[in-house]
This record gives sequence, C-alpha cells and structure tokens, in this order.
Amino acid sequence: MQVARFTTLVLAAGLAAGCGDGTPASFPTTDCAAVTGARCVEIRGGDSAALQTQVNSIDAPTTIVLGAGKFKLTNQLTIRTNGVHLIGQGIDTTTLDFGGATAQGNGVDVVGNDFLIQDLTVLDAPKDGIRVEASTGVTYRRIRATWSKPSATTNGAYGIYPVKSQNVLVENSRAENASDAGLYVGQCQHVIVRNNVVTGNVAGLEIENTQYADVYGNTAEDNTGGIVVFDLPGNPIVGRDVRLHDNMIRNNNHVNFGTPGTTVAGIPVGTGTFAMASRRVEITGNTYQNNNTTDISLISGLVVEMDMSKWTLPTAGLTGKFNDLGLMPGDAQGLTIMNFRGENILVSGNHHSGSGTSPDLHDPMHLGLLLGFGFGTSPVANVLYDAIMEDFDSTDPALNTNKNHMCIGGNTGGTFATLDLGNQATAMKPFFRPAAPFTPYECLILNGGAVAPVVLP
Amino acid sequence: MRTTLVAALLAAGCGGGGPSLSGPVMVDLDAPPPAQLSAYRLFTWDPVTGFAFNQRVVPYDVNTALFSDYALKQRAIYLPDGAAATFDPEQALAFPVGAVIVKTFYYPADLRHPDDDLRLIETRLMVRHADGWHPLPYIWDAEQRDAVLSPAGEVRAISFVDTAGAPQVANYLIPERNQCQSCHARQDGPNAPIELVLIGVKARHLNRTYDHGDAIGPRNQLDHLAELGMLTGAPTSAEVPPAYDFRPLEATGPAALPPAELEAAARSYLDINCAHCHNAAGVQGMTSQLFLDHGNTDEFHLGVCKRPGSAGTGTGGFTFDIVPGDPDTSILYFRTHTEKLGAMMPLLGRSLTHGRGAELLHAWIAAMPARNCGTAR
Repeated sequence: MQVARFTTLVLAAGLAAGCGDGTPASFPTTDCAAVTGARCVEIRGGDSAALQTQVNSIDAPTTIVLGAGKFKLTNQLTIRTNGVHLIGQGIDTTTLDFGGATAQGNGVDVVGNDFLIQDLTVLDAPKDGIRVEASTGVTYRRIRATWSKPSATTNGAYGIYPVKSQNVLVENSRAENASDAGLYVGQCQHVIVRNNVVTGNVAGLEIENTQYADVYGNTAEDNTGGIVVFDLPGNPIVGRDVRLHDNMIRNNNHVNFGTPGTTVAGIPVGTGTFAMASRRVEITGNTYQNNNTTDISLISGLVVEMDMSKWTLPTAGLTGKFNDLGLMPGDAQGLTIMNFRGENILVSGNHHSGSGTSPDLHDPMHLGLLLGFGFGTSPVANVLYDAIMEDFDSTDPALNTNKNHMCIGGNTGGTFATLDLGNQATAMKPFFRPAAPFTPYECLILNGGAVAPVVLP
Repeated sequence: MRTTLVAALLAAGCGGGGPSLSGPVMVDLDAPPPAQLSAYRLFTWDPVTGFAFNQRVVPYDVNTALFSDYALKQRAIYLPDGAAATFDPEQALAFPVGAVIVKTFYYPADLRHPDDDLRLIETRLMVRHADGWHPLPYIWDAEQRDAVLSPAGEVRAISFVDTAGAPQVANYLIPERNQCQSCHARQDGPNAPIELVLIGVKARHLNRTYDHGDAIGPRNQLDHLAELGMLTGAPTSAEVPPAYDFRPLEATGPAALPPAELEAAARSYLDINCAHCHNAAGVQGMTSQLFLDHGNTDEFHLGVCKRPGSAGTGTGGFTFDIVPGDPDTSILYFRTHTEKLGAMMPLLGRSLTHGRGAELLHAWIAAMPARNCGTAR
C-alpha cells in the first residue's frame, strides 16, 4: 500500500493541511493510511481554508479525507479535477455547512470523472447540495444532503444532483427538505440509485431525461411526490429504460412548498409515483402505502406543456439510442421526433394499501380535484392512465385503445382507471375503471422486451 | 514608511514616474506558477500614476463588459516575442502557447470618480499552455504592493459609492481557482473533452477604440494589434460588426434607445454576461436549453415562452423564461435583477443588481410584441 502525501501548493500558500498532525479524534473512522492507490491528503475537521486551498490546488487524482466536525464554508466547494474522492468520517460526523454562505453557489459543485463523495453531510447549500455535471463515473455513498429548515421555499433546489453524467451510483444516502427534488438524476446515462432515503422534499426522487436507470431498495416517505420519472420538453436526451422496483413509497402527503413555476410545484400532494412523457419504464414490486392522491400516474407530457412544437427535437442532435423506440415523428421528412407521449410502460406486482383516500383538491393543475369528483366517496384507483390520444369509453373495454402500450395486466394487487384527460376540460366525464386484468391494458411485456438491469463498469 | 517606499520606487523609475519593471515579461510554463504576481513582470501599479505595462503587454477594453458587482477592470494581452493571435469571426481569438490574458479588478472609493482612491482587489491570469488555458487567481495584499496566488479565493464585503452617490456593499466574489471553469468551460458534444475558453477577447467585443495615451493615442484595438504584428488573419476593423458599446447606456439608461438599438444592446449584454454558460456547448448552461449567445436565432432557445428546465427556486414564481411584452413575469428578468442567493443570474460574480443592465433587459422584453405563452403555473 503506497500512500503519497500531497501538499505542494498547500504548503506554498502557508496553509499546511495537516497530514498526520491532526488530533487522533479528528479521524476516528478513516484516514489516509486506509486509502489505497491515489494521492491522499487529510484535512482536520473544521479547517475550511485548508479544504478550499486543497481542492483548488490539485491537478491529479487525489483522495481528500475530511476529519470529524463542521466545515463552515462561505463559498461553494468547487471540484474540477478527475479522480477526486471526498471522504468524511461519517454521515453524522463530518458536515460541510453552507449556512453562512455569502456567495451564491451550490454546496459541492463538481465536473470531473471518477468522483466519489462518501460519509458526510452537506447542509444548507444556497442552490444545490451536491451537483455533479458532465462527468463519467460518479459515486455518492452514505452521504446526506439536507437543509435545516423543513418545508422552506427558500431551501436549495436539489440535494443529490448528478446531471448530464454517465455511470452514476447513488447508494445508502439521504436527501431531505429540498425545495424541488431531494435526489435528482437529470440527463444521465447508466445509473443505479439504491437503498437511499428521501424525505421532506417536494419531489423525493426524480429520474429526468435519463437513459438506463435502476432504482431499487429506496424509501420515499413524507414528500409531496415520492419517486417520479419524466422527460422535459426540448431536452435532447430522450429518457428510456428505467426500472423502479422494490422501493417503499409511503405517506407522501407533504405540503407542496415548491416555488410556483417549477415542474414540481404542479405535483398534487399525495402522489406516490408518476411517469410523464416516459417510455420503457418498469414499475414493479414496489410497496405503495397511504399516498393520499394516488399511487401511480402514467401521464403525457402535454399535461405540463400543451404546445407539441416545444416537444419537437431534431434527431441529429439526440443523445444515445432512440430509433428503436418508435417515437412520434415531428415532421414528414423524419428529421425530428416528439417525446411528449407516455408509452410502453409496465406496472406489475406492486403492493398497494391505504392510498387515494384524500386527493389534493388544490393542486394547480386541478388533477386532484378531477379525481375527487370522479371517484366520489371511493378511493382513487391505485394506478391511473390519462389515456390522452387513446379512444375512450367509460364502460366498454372494446371501445378503448391501448396505442401507447401501457401494460397494467400484472398489477392485480391494485385498482386501475383511465381518465380521458384530454377531453376533461369541457365536461366532467366518468372514468374507465376496468377490473383486473384491465383489458385492453392487460399486456405483461414491454415492446422491445424487458428493461435490462444496469451494470456499471 | 509607506511614503518612503513609494518615493524610493519613484526614484528608481526610468522617467515613467511609477514603479519600474526590471526586465521583460517572465512566463515559465514548466515551473509551478509563481506565488507573487510581480514575478511575471506584466505590469506595475501605483496609486498615483496607475497601471504601466511591460513590452508586448497590450491593454484593452470591451464594448459591453461582464458585470462584476460594479468592479472596474483593467485588461491586457501579453504575447511572447514573435507570436501572434489568430483572428476568429465568432469565437475568441486563438492565442499561441505562452500568451497571458490579464485582468485586474479594482474599485474606486466613489464610482463617480473612477480614477481616484483605487483599491486593487485581484488579478486573474489565463496562461496559455500546450494543453490549454490555465487559470490563476492572485489577490492583492493589504499594502497594495503585490498580489499573491490564492487558489481558495475569497468572498469579501466591499464598500463603495455608486454612480448615483449611494453607498453600496458588495459581497464580492474572488473566485476559487476551480470556479474559473464555471464560466470558462466549453464542451462540444457529450463525449468531447471539456476545454477552457476565453470570454471577452472576441472580435466583436474588442472592436472599439482604446486610448493608449501620449505616444500612441486612441487606436482601434483590432487594428492596433494587427499593426503590432500581434494579430493575424484579421480583416480591417471596419469589416467586423462590433458588439454594442454599453457606455452611453450606462450613463443615460435604455429609455431613449430606438428599437433596433435596444435589440442590439440587449443581445450584446446577454452575450457577454450569460452566453459563456448559456450556449449549446456551455458545460453548466446547456441543461437549461436557454441559449443566449449573440448568434442564436432560435426563439424557443432564446427563452421566448419557454418553461425553464431545472430552475428550482430561480423561477421567482413565474412560468416562462421570457413572456414577450411582460418583463415582470419573465424568469429571465427576475433572475438577472434579484439579489436572492440561489436565484440570481449570472451564477457567479454578482451580489448586487446591475441597475442599467436590469433596466435594459426589462425594456427589451417590454418592447417585444405581447404574446400569450400558455397556461401559467
């Protein structure tokens, strides 16, 4: 085991980082002696100046071990070097505290391949907690991103936020009290999100415009919405191949404290999961409990952006594989596609209990109000499909189409309804509420076959 | 003590009246960056005589500046002997290895007297190595004698009197070294390498007159560089469309601008203040799909009736980036004039509202033919 102590610019600046001179109590869990491979430096707990100097002086892969205690930072911690590993003494033991920040910024802001952050808490970042962008090989492990004040619109937007990155692993971490999304995977490829807890956020866990994501073993509790999957208009990464399985999604009835105008501000209180403008998504084997509006909504992107032209994307600029998806063409020449449709989604084998008993009557899109009227005194169905652009009839299965290949057939533990949402604006129409196996939505297999598990290199 | 020292330096000067430079510019690309800025011998500064530049260091200015909490900036280009930059009609001029771009940020005590009572805050260098630009932040010492390499940066409360005579306090950001890459990074495609790029030294921003004083006098910057042999491939400055000159607007505000000039002024302002991130290759801006570079003609990507991607609390409660005719419900206007941490744009380097800049963007959006963007949330 070779451990190089790395102190060039740090010493030059007269701010010795204290390799080896920290008190033993500062490194109770791990120190450089426990690190293999990379250069390693130890920063004593609380020595924010040394930490800032260190991360801004390295130009080679380096492990930075942070001591126990609170690092008070007035500016974001900015990492732009490949191979930086930031390791604290434990999720409750090492804290990066941005509560006193006087400059706008995120907490930890990273562009760099092979980045790891582990065993620490990021507190009260002005913007996002831990934002990692345009990077390949990203690991978040046993960390917490949180804000001290619950339900404050002034809290930062995203807690754990890998964006536009590849080969991302988020595990055994916590995201709390974010005014937008606690754990937000945006525009990434090849992602595993497992065994995390998201709580007290507007959206607990979001998978946005992302390709190949495995989301399992997570607990989403006490958010406005639990775990959601969606595409936003105009983004050249068309989301696909997302598996949500074996998660616990319960009691997501938190007041919506999102800033008006954001996508999440439209989420009805009491939403378990929605998949919006998404394709090749599997929602299987999850446990849904006591989400007051509904457990699972399958919806078109037109719900948030009615102008189809804004969902038009030039195929020449798209990221990743898309020509096997059967995306709706945006023009006759085949130069563009549109990705507002929700399609090719499997909902199967989930456990449902206690949900849909009190739909949000005040959400800005009036979805909850519609559900309240439509279901009257009975609970809202566990799984809802807007059936936008489908043929619809409230009673006869033969008069309903399933052009978008929504497969609910294996979800016999829950109830199902389609809403004809595209035609609800003018008059309240009854919903279609078939019994299992929910014909014509009884299919069990996605077009193109099952979504493969994600394997990270 | 201080007076004596200044007097000694003055005495040692070669008739220039300020502290002297002991030789040509020193840029050693193979050595670690020097701890003291003075080691480069790029320029001297003296509270009485101001800035004095070494041989092959050419000061310059830009038509519309990137707002930095009202800090004033002294900019210069250094090129090694015999080396020249290459003209580019759109992107930054291409610089040879060994080139240095120098920018010193300073405040006068009172912005109504921009040459008096100056405090130098920091000097940022961009040094051209074979593998690209290396950013180096130097912070001026309390005695204002030299600047010290300071990778950690600093957030410093700075008091000054603004052009209206009102006292202001900025939470001025001296960026961390790595924060340089927040604004100076470009990535042409998802798997392309991230490259550091320059912002201000583009032909359109440089195409203006600079008064060099006694010997040279006022000269067009592009023509002057070409005449010095420090710029090749350039057409005459008359053939280069200049960005908008913000100075008259800073003095009088946008109210009197005719529509075409309003458009040009606003697009130049967005170009220099926003487009380093908000362009299709901007590492931290491309996720927004809001592209504010002067070349963008796509209305949606310019923000018209566009819902934000992931603006979080930055929406200010509004739904669309730009609502034509209605600046007060446009997110773009909200973010560029608010002083709220977490919502402000640009992302870095602003803690105060740029009054004239905000007025300009307000007037620009107000002048757009009104349109209903759709359902607000």
